[in-house]
Amino acid sequence: MKNSISVLHDSIKKHVSGKSIFIDDILLNDNLLHARVVYSNVPHAKIKAIHTHNAKNLHGVHCVLTSKDIPGVNQMGPVIHDEVCLASDKVECIGQAVVLIAATTEKIAIEASKLITIDYEELESVLSLKDAINKNSLIGSVRSMNRGDIDLGKKQAKHHLIGQLETGAQEHWYLETQISLAVPSEDDEMLVYSSTQHPSETQAIVAEVLGINKNQITIETKRMGGAFGGKETQANWLAAWSSLLAFHCKKPVKLRLSRDDDQKITGKRHPFIFDYEVGYQSDGSLVYLNVIQHTDAGCATDLSFAILERAMLHNDNAYFIPHVHIEGRAYKTNLPSNTAFRGFGGPQGVACIEFILDQIARKLKIDSALVRKINFYEEDAKNVTHYGQKVEYNHLHKIYDQLIKSSDYFNRKKEIENFNNSNEFYKKGIALTPVKFGISFTTTHLNQAGALIHVYTDGSVLISHGGTEMGQGLHTKIAQIASMELGLSMDFIKVGATNTSKVANTSATAASSGTDLNGMAVKNALDQIKDRLIPLAKELLNTNDEIVFENNYVGILSNKAKKIEFKKLIQEAYLKRMHLSASGFYQTPDIGWDKIKGWGKPFNYFTYGMCVSEVQLDVLTGYVKVLRTDILHDCGKSINPNIDIGQIQGAYIQGLGWCTTEECKYDSKGRLLNYSPDTYKIPSIQDIPLDFRVELLKEVDNPLAIRKSKAVAEPPFMYGLSTWLAIKDAISSIKNHQVEPEFKIPATHETILLSIDKLKNEI
Amino acid sequence: MTENKIQFILNNQLTELTFAENLNSTTTLLQYLRNNTPFKGVKEGCAEGDCGACTVVISEFIDNSFQYKAVDSCLIFLPMLHGLSVYTVEFIETLYSDQYHPVQEALIAHNGSQCGFCTPGFTMSMFALHQQDSQADRNKIEDALSGNLCRCTGYQSIIEACLSDVFKNKNQQIEVLEQEQKILLESINTKESIVIKNLNQEYFKCFKKEEALLYLDKYPDTLILNGSTDVSLAVTKRHEHLQRILDISSVNELKKLVLSDEWIKIGAGVSLEKLKNFSENRLPILFQNLTVFASKQIREMGTIGGNVGSSSPISDLLPVLMVLEAELKLQSIKSDRLVNINDYVLGYRKTLRNQNELITKIHIPVPKIGVIHQFYKVSKRKDMDISTLSAAFELKLNGILVENIKICFGGMDAVAIRVHLIENFLIGKTWERNNIEQAQLLLDDIFNPISDARSSAEFRMIAAKNLLLKFWSENIV
Repeated sequence: MKNSISVLHDSIKKHVSGKSIFIDDILLNDNLLHARVVYSNVPHAKIKAIHTHNAKNLHGVHCVLTSKDIPGVNQMGPVIHDEVCLASDKVECIGQAVVLIAATTEKIAIEASKLITIDYEELESVLSLKDAINKNSLIGSVRSMNRGDIDLGKKQAKHHLIGQLETGAQEHWYLETQISLAVPSEDDEMLVYSSTQHPSETQAIVAEVLGINKNQITIETKRMGGAFGGKETQANWLAAWSSLLAFHCKKPVKLRLSRDDDQKITGKRHPFIFDYEVGYQSDGSLVYLNVIQHTDAGCATDLSFAILERAMLHNDNAYFIPHVHIEGRAYKTNLPSNTAFRGFGGPQGVACIEFILDQIARKLKIDSALVRKINFYEEDAKNVTHYGQKVEYNHLHKIYDQLIKSSDYFNRKKEIENFNNSNEFYKKGIALTPVKFGISFTTTHLNQAGALIHVYTDGSVLISHGGTEMGQGLHTKIAQIASMELGLSMDFIKVGATNTSKVANTSATAASSGTDLNGMAVKNALDQIKDRLIPLAKELLNTNDEIVFENNYVGILSNKAKKIEFKKLIQEAYLKRMHLSASGFYQTPDIGWDKIKGWGKPFNYFTYGMCVSEVQLDVLTGYVKVLRTDILHDCGKSINPNIDIGQIQGAYIQGLGWCTTEECKYDSKGRLLNYSPDTYKIPSIQDIPLDFRVELLKEVDNPLAIRKSKAVAEPPFMYGLSTWLAIKDAISSIKNHQVEPEFKIPATHETILLSIDKLKNEI
Repeated sequence: MTENKIQFILNNQLTELTFAENLNSTTTLLQYLRNNTPFKGVKEGCAEGDCGACTVVISEFIDNSFQYKAVDSCLIFLPMLHGLSVYTVEFIETLYSDQYHPVQEALIAHNGSQCGFCTPGFTMSMFALHQQDSQADRNKIEDALSGNLCRCTGYQSIIEACLSDVFKNKNQQIEVLEQEQKILLESINTKESIVIKNLNQEYFKCFKKEEALLYLDKYPDTLILNGSTDVSLAVTKRHEHLQRILDISSVNELKKLVLSDEWIKIGAGVSLEKLKNFSENRLPILFQNLTVFASKQIREMGTIGGNVGSSSPISDLLPVLMVLEAELKLQSIKSDRLVNINDYVLGYRKTLRNQNELITKIHIPVPKIGVIHQFYKVSKRKDMDISTLSAAFELKLNGILVENIKICFGGMDAVAIRVHLIENFLIGKTWERNNIEQAQLLLDDIFNPISDARSSAEFRMIAAKNLLLKFWSENIV
């Protein structure tokens, strides 16, 4: 059966009619309590005293908890245990939780929170990445990746360039803020409805905090109202806090962060500073790259090392660089712990090399697309990355050729030049940027998945797997995979809510790997069931021919009439006392990665794509309009092209936001200034390209993933960088591309206008 | 006087609310829907009117027809709904027996939803547009949806859904519904004022201007509420207790718009959306301004009187009204007076208005022929973003000479401010770039802007200078 049948997202009809149930919509009786977190309002301090008396006495308040009330371990650190559940003796950022309150209404909980006072003795704090670099407040050890010999490269290269790039934080801004609903039961059992990307880890953290076994805790996740990495580890907090309150109150407790609290207390995309030196020849080809990557981990480790690692692994993007030295440094600051965000460090690493190539093109006066092309990984030579992985099934040149043509890149470039020559106050710019993104968790053991399949006697199939649905259409794709594997129409198939009691020890739905891993685990389970059914089918059909499953029937290829309805076969199997459930498992083969040496094969495969963006810049206000964006993206043999295109469009716009309007500013006391949508600006409907074309690359079956497909999710996020560099191109045209403009991420109207102002003052 | 009770229609059911424990007069429509009804399709995304996940549609019978508007339910206090009709996402599919509503069908067909949290809000904004305009083009679509944020789709699929002729697809069911609605609405008493005294809070809602003035005279410290787009944040964001509220949102006398040869007289209760539509061909500078003013949901509720009344330094309207030399009518029960808006603003959120006075009208002189007007807003995002700074210009040229010029900046100081120094410098000079460039330098003497969440002082100064040049460049003789 073919892939690529257009199947709707399995929840879309419920979404448009308001029937989809999110955690905040779950009906409970009057016993439900509402929770509130009281958090630190100073960035770094010793806690001298916590006064909860007045809050406890407020009518309607059931529980006021501090760290002393934690029965288990006061820890929520997902990888390294450096993150307390509730602060006891010190606070390390504004937003760190100190006190939990449960009350009969949200309003009472808010009133009670106003009655809590905490006495602090403030300590010196580190409030920016630059400050952290100056103070060398390293968290963990310095990492490095090496290939070749930088000194030799320096001798070989004709030109050299030294520079710095800053990339900013980004708030996830999932529409559904972090939420958890904990329902206690007999003994110490707890059922937690959590908006989490990682139910198994959420389960582990709740169990540790409550000091009980994991088998007492069930985490259930039906759907999330967006996540984007923000609910990979930090959803654990809400689950732990609500469970702690439910444990003490012996009543269900719901904890939902207000938008402001969510923005203030949860982590962001990691800001980076890249200090680089690079050498290149007169044709633009890169000779060496020597980079120090500095990143702001925030006040705890969280996933910072994996993120830094991915930034280092993507510092090459699509380009072969003979001599590479990359050093990665993560710093501790007194800001909320930064965390996973779509791309997971990849976009920052890619931004660095794209920024460098853009500069080289300007210096050499060669079109930047050509400079990129000359550096692309090749098929037979120049095909090994700086960490030793061979770049296989490379579609870069194919994509480049097609996109240059379909976007009419060179003609438009000329038109833009003409436009710019005859306009002083409006300038246009264009840029092509590629992406090559590695698919797999770089923490190798995470590349595993499980599934549980039940076939019921009416022929209907219930699938449980370890992946979570956050809007990306994972459950839809999984149902399609099952439908194709069983030859069964979609109305027989249901994917249930993700639940730790159905599938245990799962990995986060992250690293774009949800369909790759869970799809394979589901297939494995289905294969087991099919293997049991086939002998029975042969017996019933009285044949030794190969059995096929299609169109709701089980039969043989040679004689179309010889078949039995799937439902009927299942009933027969049941009567024969056959096991109609199966648990499936998958581990990605042939990968291995030595984190210490920075060498190996961390990725199962690479995803490729490119984007051309054209912008118009109002030179006097810094306002940018994206005129046209063309994307050509490799999804292998897409399981669901509509869903994949939706992912690409959404990722690009999210990347555009990171590169342009989304900015986190802190004041001198470490307070986030942009803590609400009033001042934190994600793209709105008027910010998208006037002309927006997304195509999937054709005839590129991927032998390495489920049904020859490829992961999507993260890679297209990086297309935002083409728009970012198109803006830079427009700015650069003010001085006829003779002067290098100052630039960074995000290119807000302020960044742009200050850059223009500086250019104009250059002689 | 009615006490502690309101009536409105919710999804075609007459609903009477009595205010008691857990339902006070500042409970928002969003809170009520989510906590007290089965209609949980409506979502809270921000509780400040920025994201639109809580969008519902309100309809009202005005001038012999039903008018539909998409609004943010998080910003609406329940008593504001008295005499109105509210629709939530759960209702609209009931208008079609064998399918979803056309806007829902279009979103399904074009994959216009991923995580689904924002979708009910988008659906309702599209439903309102469906009722308002069967010809909506991309501009109107973007305008109608600029107050709805989506973090998953990148909007393209939603735009495609809207461009699929969806707004032309109508059926008769809505007319049947409107007949029922009319009867229901007529059964609600909208003449007698309502007072709600509950939980140490007094909320007074009236339908006549005189009643409002009397109340204000008696309680000059009362908070005046019209569109509630600003006032409600005190409750939803800052969790403040508002002791006394005067709700003038249903005073129809304040909603008149009258055009004469010399004046445009705008009732203080005229919504910004109504004003936008009115000004499109009559007062282009105001139209320019309102096109980038918040979102459609906000403009449907927000009023000109409220915006002027709050006199924020980053009010989008003030710079425009200042160069237009608008006059405000300040009325108390005892007297009324007209003041020029340039005299009205005294300082940071301080004005000439006495506590017992109500802004009842804004008079704008009809622009003279040959006068050029322009408004610019600089913000991080084009729409649904508060100004970082803004500027309004009025220019009268005599040949190449500047006969008269008025320039007002917002966001550069504690108040929106006319720059007389520059106006006087330019009057009588030639309308040439070198004069503008000299005028730019004067801004350094006038302003000492602040750095804040929106931008640095340095940026504000550069941008302010640029706006002078921009105005010149777009009006070169």
